[in-house]
Amino acid sequence: MFKLKKNIIPNTNIKIITNDARTFEGLVLPDTTDQKTVLKLSSGYNIGILNKNIKDITTLKKQISKKTSLPKLKINKNLPTISILHTGGTIASKVDYETGAVLSQFTPEDIVSMFPEIKTLANIESKLVRNMWSSNMNFNHFNLLAKAVEKEVNRGVQGIVITLGTDTLTYASAALSFILEGISIPVIFTASQRSSDRGSSDAFLNLYSAVKFAKESDFAGVAICMHGSSNDDFCHILPACKTKKLHSSRRNTFKPVNTTPIAKVDIDNIEFYSETHHKKRDSSKLKLKLLNPKLKLGILRFHPHFQSSMLEPIKKFDGLILEGTGLGNGPVECVDEFTKENEKTLKTIKALTKNIPVVMTTQCVFGRINMNVYSYGRKILDSGVWGNHTDMLPETAFIKLAWLLSNYSKDKSKELYHENLRGEISERTLYNE
Amino acid sequence: MSDLDYKKLGFKCGLEIHQQLETHKLFCNCPSIVHDKNPNIKIERKLRAVAGETGKVDAAAAYEIKKDLKNIYEACSSSSCLVELDEEPPKEVNKDALEIVLQVALLLNAKPVDEIRVMRKTVIDGSNVSGFQRTMLVATGGYIETSKGRVIVDSVCLEEESAKKIEKKDDHVRFRLDRLGVPLIEVATDASIKDPEHCKEVASLLGMILRSTNRVKRGIGTIRQDVNVSIKGHPRVEIKGFQDLKSIPKIIFYEIKREVSEIKSKKKIESHVRKADPDFTTSFLRPMPGAARMYPETDVPPIPLEKEFLSKIKIPELITEKAIKLEERYKLSPQLAQELVHNDDFEKYVNQFRISPELIAKSLIEIPKEISKRFNLSTEKITSSIYQEVFKALESKSINESAILEILTDVANGNILDLKKYKQVSTSGIESEIKKIVQSNNKLSPNALMGMVMAKYRGKVDGKKVMEIIKTNL
Repeated sequence: MFKLKKNIIPNTNIKIITNDARTFEGLVLPDTTDQKTVLKLSSGYNIGILNKNIKDITTLKKQISKKTSLPKLKINKNLPTISILHTGGTIASKVDYETGAVLSQFTPEDIVSMFPEIKTLANIESKLVRNMWSSNMNFNHFNLLAKAVEKEVNRGVQGIVITLGTDTLTYASAALSFILEGISIPVIFTASQRSSDRGSSDAFLNLYSAVKFAKESDFAGVAICMHGSSNDDFCHILPACKTKKLHSSRRNTFKPVNTTPIAKVDIDNIEFYSETHHKKRDSSKLKLKLLNPKLKLGILRFHPHFQSSMLEPIKKFDGLILEGTGLGNGPVECVDEFTKENEKTLKTIKALTKNIPVVMTTQCVFGRINMNVYSYGRKILDSGVWGNHTDMLPETAFIKLAWLLSNYSKDKSKELYHENLRGEISERTLYNE
Repeated sequence: MSDLDYKKLGFKCGLEIHQQLETHKLFCNCPSIVHDKNPNIKIERKLRAVAGETGKVDAAAAYEIKKDLKNIYEACSSSSCLVELDEEPPKEVNKDALEIVLQVALLLNAKPVDEIRVMRKTVIDGSNVSGFQRTMLVATGGYIETSKGRVIVDSVCLEEESAKKIEKKDDHVRFRLDRLGVPLIEVATDASIKDPEHCKEVASLLGMILRSTNRVKRGIGTIRQDVNVSIKGHPRVEIKGFQDLKSIPKIIFYEIKREVSEIKSKKKIESHVRKADPDFTTSFLRPMPGAARMYPETDVPPIPLEKEFLSKIKIPELITEKAIKLEERYKLSPQLAQELVHNDDFEKYVNQFRISPELIAKSLIEIPKEISKRFNLSTEKITSSIYQEVFKALESKSINESAILEILTDVANGNILDLKKYKQVSTSGIESEIKKIVQSNNKLSPNALMGMVMAKYRGKVDGKKVMEIIKTNL
């Protein structure tokens, strides 16, 4: 806590007279420090005033905050229930115009007051699982989410929507799709690239479409619902294990890799792209197969001038995901006086595979692994690296390997790693524009 | 306009000036060019009143997403990027724009704040793709001296220009994004303007001060004046859309007359915004917007204005002062001096060439004007290197003063500069030729004869001497 100058107390109205004889009246904001006072002036503007430039301060009449509680939601017996599980972040943030602060809102009443149209679709339940940025999440949080899902499934809700930051959303969606074995209802991840405190936020359409899809479709399993274009016209329902964040800021950042979207949702319709894609709602029983948070796995990328010593610390790990070049290649051959390091790299990989699983993915993003094509690819394959002929994203391979090692023996893990369990591997690489 | 006693009426008037700056955009590196070329980007968005903003009552009703108006945004890659499309966070505040607004603040005797905080001002009419306008308070407590006393400048702000609305239909509004994000200075005075003429004076002074930075945009729509007026018994009315400064006094006069009769009518009067019409009256535009809904732009860090940085801001010379200096020093007409204020080359040429400053001034200002007016040509091709050549030739007397227009027109037409074509011909050499023309056309007036001679020797002879020869031969 900063030692504030006398009378400069956050959330009080004060009048400041500066050394150059200017007068400022406003609300003291919480980002005030012992160096400067941040004021919200009556014009709405915020300014910073250096405390050393303040000559005089008067405290003004106390602001009476007009906090009104929202009316309790009435249950519409004709509508099914959709549960929204929050993990914090920007999708449920609201501006307090008095202070200018952006506040997160998570009660069902808050959510419905922010997104009133979803009330017409379903009775909304809402829970905050953890308030945090997606970048800070680890396996423990994915397990927490899975347990929260189980609770809602057992209550018999029609569908579940999970809000999460976009940055690591595809790791989370892949994790839940493995953990939630036998899930018989839709579990739809959604997020926003523009925070919901602004009128242009993508959150409105994303959340609406996610709730609509979770309520109305016959889909069972985990998927992602996000803007399908830069327009506010429709959302895509994307496969949980085959989707990548491909743009750091655009609304339609998520794209399916080596497959198509599952469905398209707009205000009025849900349209499936391919009926074969998805499991349908059924009576199967949910069984949680959680991740072991003690596991240590790493992702390493092959690149020119790769140093074998990068692999050394991995010896203490439980598994390694390699992002190879092209079809699953890497610098493992000594071909001249400059490439002796490559031999060491191959040797280290061989040593690693004796103890831990090492799997190959491609840094190309799109396409399938085939380590038979080049001699150096074959050398990697022969060294005991898994993953030949798979087409998993490195993110998905990471989650899948961790999940397998959490729940199965190493041998069984190897077998299952090469099998398609949740739509993470496509049997045929289809031609997509 | 003298039949109103403004003091007695309790006349109150304040001015807000918005001026576009001649820099790249405020939060990205897009050039701030406004053009009408075919847009290659088209996106459709829906903008919603964010919950809490419109209050509790309409929070439920207002949000039927289906019925929302669609905003169609058209943009050109040459002038818009993902920042305008609300698909990328803003970059840091444009340093040049910040420097200019601080120059203006200092010219207005205003004091910069210790730390600027960029704000988001909620705008839901679609003219900002994001749903808000980024704006920041830069300086306060300024003033200007006028013929009727001191007028206080309450605030100097820097903000983003909005998108241009180009079409409004029942189900959509169409905008162009080229203008969105162009830096805009907002200067606001207090309500101490005394009368309509005084308002025009203040507007003109503020415009001159803004132009003195030499870094503001010029032309239609690049500066806008909003006038706030009220009288005793009538709430504040804001008038927008003045076509020019000249119209300000008349429009305020008619507005006050309207307010006087409105008070007499005893109707309930509310504060609102009016539009200035071409016939100098005003018409209702919209109700007065509520208190600005502002919250912090968290994507842009606060900007401390440190003493060291501020001490480096150069205060530009006011146009009025510079013009007087030029006028006196080079014996120029006030109008020519006024126009030379922004020409950095003029004094350079005066020092470089031994030819009269007035001739240089005319060549730089009046002749290009004539070329574009008379021949409808762009004078872009008349570059400083062309002027260098022409002035050199004038100095060495290898061409004649009267050839300048011809030469520059030729260049404007896209021809290569060829000074040989205009080489001065001595009048004595063509005397016999002139004689011939005069004798064979002896019924014509001297002026007509002059025209015939000049058609043949235009730019190569001194006109005055030709006339003398014509007259002696008549």
